[in-house]
Amino acid sequence: MEIPWPNSLVVHTENVYRHYQMGEALVRAVDGISIDIRAGEFVALLGASGSGKSSLLNLVAGLDRPTSGAVIVYGNNLAALSREQLAKYRLHTVGMVFQSFNLIPSMSLLENVELPMRFAEVDRRERSTLARQSLERVGLIGRLSHRPMELSGGEQQRASLARALINRPKLLLADEPTGNLDSRTGTEIMELIRSFNQSLGMTVLMVTHEQALAEKYAGRMMHLADGRLVDDVPNDDKPNISSVEAPAPRGEIQ
Amino acid sequence: MKFYDVTDLAIRNLRESGFRNSLTTIGISVGVASLVAMLSLGIGLQQLASRRLQKSGLFDTVVATSRRDLRNFREQRDDGPPPAESPALDEPARRKIEQLPGAVEAYPDIRFVTEMRFDDKPHLTMVAGVPFSAKNNNDAFDGMQGSFFSSETGPEVILQKSFAEELLGIRSKPGADDTNIAELAKPLLGKELTMRYAERTASPSSTGLSDGAAYSVVSRQQALKIVGVTDLDPDSMRGTARARVFLPLKLAQDLHVMQSGLRDASPSSAPTYTSISVRVGNPNQVPAVEDAIKKMGFSAFSLVDATRSMRQFFAVLDGFLAIFGSLALAVASIGIVNTLVMAILERRREIGIMKALGASDADVRGLFFAEAGAMGLVGGAVGVTLGWAIGRLINFGTNIYLERQNFPPAQIWSVPLWLVLSAIAFSIVVSLLSGLYPAARAARLDPVQALRYE
Repeated sequence: MEIPWPNSLVVHTENVYRHYQMGEALVRAVDGISIDIRAGEFVALLGASGSGKSSLLNLVAGLDRPTSGAVIVYGNNLAALSREQLAKYRLHTVGMVFQSFNLIPSMSLLENVELPMRFAEVDRRERSTLARQSLERVGLIGRLSHRPMELSGGEQQRASLARALINRPKLLLADEPTGNLDSRTGTEIMELIRSFNQSLGMTVLMVTHEQALAEKYAGRMMHLADGRLVDDVPNDDKPNISSVEAPAPRGEIQ
Repeated sequence: MKFYDVTDLAIRNLRESGFRNSLTTIGISVGVASLVAMLSLGIGLQQLASRRLQKSGLFDTVVATSRRDLRNFREQRDDGPPPAESPALDEPARRKIEQLPGAVEAYPDIRFVTEMRFDDKPHLTMVAGVPFSAKNNNDAFDGMQGSFFSSETGPEVILQKSFAEELLGIRSKPGADDTNIAELAKPLLGKELTMRYAERTASPSSTGLSDGAAYSVVSRQQALKIVGVTDLDPDSMRGTARARVFLPLKLAQDLHVMQSGLRDASPSSAPTYTSISVRVGNPNQVPAVEDAIKKMGFSAFSLVDATRSMRQFFAVLDGFLAIFGSLALAVASIGIVNTLVMAILERRREIGIMKALGASDADVRGLFFAEAGAMGLVGGAVGVTLGWAIGRLINFGTNIYLERQNFPPAQIWSVPLWLVLSAIAFSIVVSLLSGLYPAARAARLDPVQALRYE
């Protein structure tokens, strides 16, 4: 679905609901949320556990479909895309990092970072070069052949950031990226994410339950409770680079 | 994903839980091995049987006879012209038959009973002419002692084993198959044999007569050198039936030996033949050649029907053996389903990660398919080797048994290339079919659920 789309708008949700059945009970994980995220913003999604922040993130990530409402990213209504198109969208438009890193244990770091490029059918030689560059950017060039289990949590998360960057997405989605890390390594990771936001112009949507972290890094804070948006405030201390003109995402979805 | 990446990832995954996948693959191997062993046995037995029949020419020989010879019988078949109008089975007819599509050669059957003298003792026997071409295409002369005729008209003979025994005064027990031809041949090869026969000559007084028995018979003798001794089946076809002495066909023709049979009653200036044997290149063409000969006005017969029912028998036997062999493969395919479904449960999170990173349903499906296919390929290859080894073992055991029972060793087992290739292909196909359900299930996995799964 093509919608008249202002250049600077990256994510737009309109009255989006995600309900699911859990035994007898109907869980309203996302219960009518409308948000806009502009290019270059660093947005923190805050809320207690079960508030629906991860569910909303999954909807934006194209991992899940809304029960009703629209999730529009770069002019594409995700609800209207086929499974195939959604996979392409995940491959080219968004990069994801998770609380539990989600690296594949049987693969070396280099192979883990290369993995999305296999799905994108990037040539083998080019893949290796790009993966090395990406790992270099997060400071892991010396650990290429290590398996995830041989690395610290911070190193694993850095590797997963390198993997998220590999297909050059314009939107980075982070689900509690520091949740499994001590505060010092957590800060390292947040600094990296900030550098992506500022130097690469990546739009960042980060789920966290740590108010302090959000205040320190995010330019805008959205508070969720019971699946609803209860607060949406700019972080005055942080300059937002929403003025950056967003180029079209690298991968085209059709 | 590109083919290389799919296979690369699949092999990596198979290695990751190597023990379980090895067990599954061994299961496939055993299935394929049993299939190959069963079929190779069936094929081997079939080849054994057809080799014996091929020796006798059952498969590829059509015998043409003139209908004129039937004139004394009431014509019962109503196909073709009546016997009187049937053309003569003479040299031009032989050439015409030889040129039929599918026919390789056509030669007259020459056969007569005469006396052979050896060491001044007479021996009465059936003599037959053998075409020179039999040297290369009649397996019957393969196991022969000595050599084949040196030329088309050489004054040479090949003896059938039983006649060789007779000449040497050896009494073989009926049914016993234990005389060594090599030892029989030793005292005979190179020796001379005198054939006494009746030559039929056109009588000068009969020229101009159109009918009647206008020929004379002259008694003659011919010295012949024994060049070979063969254990050729005396009941074989190709015009050498029950003969125990074989002459080069051309020589037999040149001698104008009087043959028994109705043919001799016909005018004699142009020789006609009792029957002509037609060797057909491919057994499948036998019926066509048979029809063509009938259209020319001759009688033709072949034993292709007999061989057809034999082939039918073996087709059924092979079918049964294949079904029993496939049972093990069917069990193995359940093993594949089981292994892959287990792999989905085990790699649920991994599948979720791949989907979150942008793997499509087709990518995930392809991966599981490739794993199933790889197990099928390896299992098939190992299974064929295993089946081959089992077949060899059975063959070995059987031959030990045969040897104890005083039978010659036989190849009852055969693994042709097509069996190797189709067994591997079958194994891959069965494995892929087994992978259908697990692959579809993996592809439909909900990434959110899969990622939540710890």
